[in-house]
Amino acid sequence: MADHDPDSDSTPRTLLRRVLDTADPRTPRRPRSARAGAQRRALLETASSRRSSSQTKMTTRRHSHGARSISRSAYVQASGHLKEQTPRTLLKNILLTAPESSILMPKSVVKPVPAPQVVQPSRRESSLGSLELQLPELEPPTTLAPGLLAPGRRKQRLRLSMFQQGVDQGLPLSQEPQRNADASSLTSSLNLTFATPLQPQSVQRPGLARRPPARRAVDVGAFLQDLRDTSLAPPNIVLEDTQPFSQPTVGCSPRVYRSPPCMPHTGAEDTELAAGCKKRSSGPGMQTNSPEKLAQFLAGEAEEVDAFALDFLSTSSGVSGEDGVEPLQDGVEEAEKRMEEEGVSVSEMEATGAQGPSRAEEPEGHTEVTEAEESQGTAEAKGPGASSGDEDASDRAARPELVSSTPESLQARRHHQFLEPDPPPGAAVLSSEPAEPLLVRRPPRPGTTGPRPQQDPHKAGLSHYVKFFSFYAKMPMERKALEMVEKCLDKYFQHLCDDLEVFAAHAGRKTVKPEDVELLMRRQGLVTDQVSLHVLVERYLPLEYRQLLIPCASSGNSVFPAQ
Amino acid sequence: MEEEAEAEEQQRFSYQQRLKAAVHYTVGCLCEEVALDKGMQFSRQTIAAISELTFRQCENFAKDLEMFARHARRTTINTEDVKLLARRSDSLLKYITDKSEEITHINLERKARKKKKSEDGNHNSRELAEAGVVESEQ
Repeated sequence: MADHDPDSDSTPRTLLRRVLDTADPRTPRRPRSARAGAQRRALLETASSRRSSSQTKMTTRRHSHGARSISRSAYVQASGHLKEQTPRTLLKNILLTAPESSILMPKSVVKPVPAPQVVQPSRRESSLGSLELQLPELEPPTTLAPGLLAPGRRKQRLRLSMFQQGVDQGLPLSQEPQRNADASSLTSSLNLTFATPLQPQSVQRPGLARRPPARRAVDVGAFLQDLRDTSLAPPNIVLEDTQPFSQPTVGCSPRVYRSPPCMPHTGAEDTELAAGCKKRSSGPGMQTNSPEKLAQFLAGEAEEVDAFALDFLSTSSGVSGEDGVEPLQDGVEEAEKRMEEEGVSVSEMEATGAQGPSRAEEPEGHTEVTEAEESQGTAEAKGPGASSGDEDASDRAARPELVSSTPESLQARRHHQFLEPDPPPGAAVLSSEPAEPLLVRRPPRPGTTGPRPQQDPHKAGLSHYVKFFSFYAKMPMERKALEMVEKCLDKYFQHLCDDLEVFAAHAGRKTVKPEDVELLMRRQGLVTDQVSLHVLVERYLPLEYRQLLIPCASSGNSVFPAQ
Repeated sequence: MEEEAEAEEQQRFSYQQRLKAAVHYTVGCLCEEVALDKGMQFSRQTIAAISELTFRQCENFAKDLEMFARHARRTTINTEDVKLLARRSDSLLKYITDKSEEITHINLERKARKKKKSEDGNHNSRELAEAGVVESEQ
């Protein structure tokens, strides 16, 4: 019978399945400690015997269907136990919601079996029975561990203790294997099984699962202190003015490539930023904040900046523009955070008195735009000015502001084109720019607009593309060449944004809409009579964007996204 | 049908050739003027290249103008569309803007003059009515 492939994947999932199959659905499991050991053992014993039997509808259905998804739904239908708070129902919920794939290596059948036992009590406690329980799930097992340990073998005891450690520390999944490695080989595999309950949550976001936890938690106290310190000093926006091409900082590069959803990614980045900032700001006596503090501050600020960015955007581009921007923002936020952090850190370093809120505005407006990936205007906030002194800060403040206000909305529209061709995106500047430009980006007056600001604040985002460029070039490149590339990219993006602005004005609008972007792409020759914008969207953008950009009719005569 | 399409194609092609020839001739005349002005000669290939370039660019302009007009939800191409087209080159944009202003000014004047003439040729009541109309127009 192919119910649970004992050979192929003896994952927690299969184990849980087995447990559910074999366990008596009607058994009330309230008094867990007493029954825990006995029940589990009974389950274990009966598991093998019952495996081949098709006693319950669920079992049969599960076996008959190959696909787990189908079995899941059948499971839900078949079981009316969801209302009951039994381990079975909890486990079921977990199985239903957990992702299919199991990241862990297949282990021996015996070892993983205890895992469900441990899991069960935890499930019992949680009313959700969902993957969100990651931490709460872990806690109960620690309390139950003693109960489990009694009948358990030495291996189990070791395993549980490791598990307990992990739960107590609340460390992410990746850390458990590390600790497991420390343990004996016997326990290592077992520990992995304990780790699996954590998998579902991370598996849902694979980008996070494998990431090494090289991040530091944000020091809230330091952050607040930094906020207070920075808000007091006058905005040092002049800094970025005369720093067109500051030396790239090594630390910034990793930041760029980090995926966005991980908010806690600031830790490593911040350290890098701090290091980079240190080098740059050694000369001018910028803020007194230590780099670490700044990093932390930036990390925390990045999130706040998002909110600011949204506000800023709305003020600058109008509400209607915001709608279009919103779909971007999700994806944009990543870049935003990146840029914000970079910019903020730099700005922090550079500007003695950067206005916190103003700065916050800049980064977010810029980051959003940058996310648009072509936006160079706002990206300039990141501008090169890291090495320059404070003198540029004030000028930059004006510039980024102007740049951010108009180009932002325009650039936000560029999401269509972010695959575009700008030939090798290359902005060598970014590495050096990080903090300063952000400072400049958000001058305290969002409403004012004046002559188009200079490029420095924009360069922050360009360095991102310069890095791509140098990567794809596959040969070493001179810094001058990279700077040239960055200049070209800057001009290119400026042109694009100008065009977008003009197109919107031509249609009598003040906000850039997708029609403007489509017109621009048509002029560029990307969108032709044969190739429409939707085709490009489908070809190059990830699925999430496609859902947002291409209206699709769904049931009930509704169209999403709403037109 | 295919023959018709082919014939049409032929017609269009010959029409295109005629247009190209006209452009080539004009470009040649202009190049002669410039040659006289600067004291340099233009080779035939240069003139041919320039005329081909001009012709293709005109095609692009036409497509862009149509796109701009459609983007502004209009069916006729406007001076605004032309200005949008020329925005890249500053001097050209300035030149075109001045010209367009001149043209609109002339149009207004012409309208005013026509109105005045018609007023003179009519009765007082009509004159008054038309004056009112003219004023409202202006």
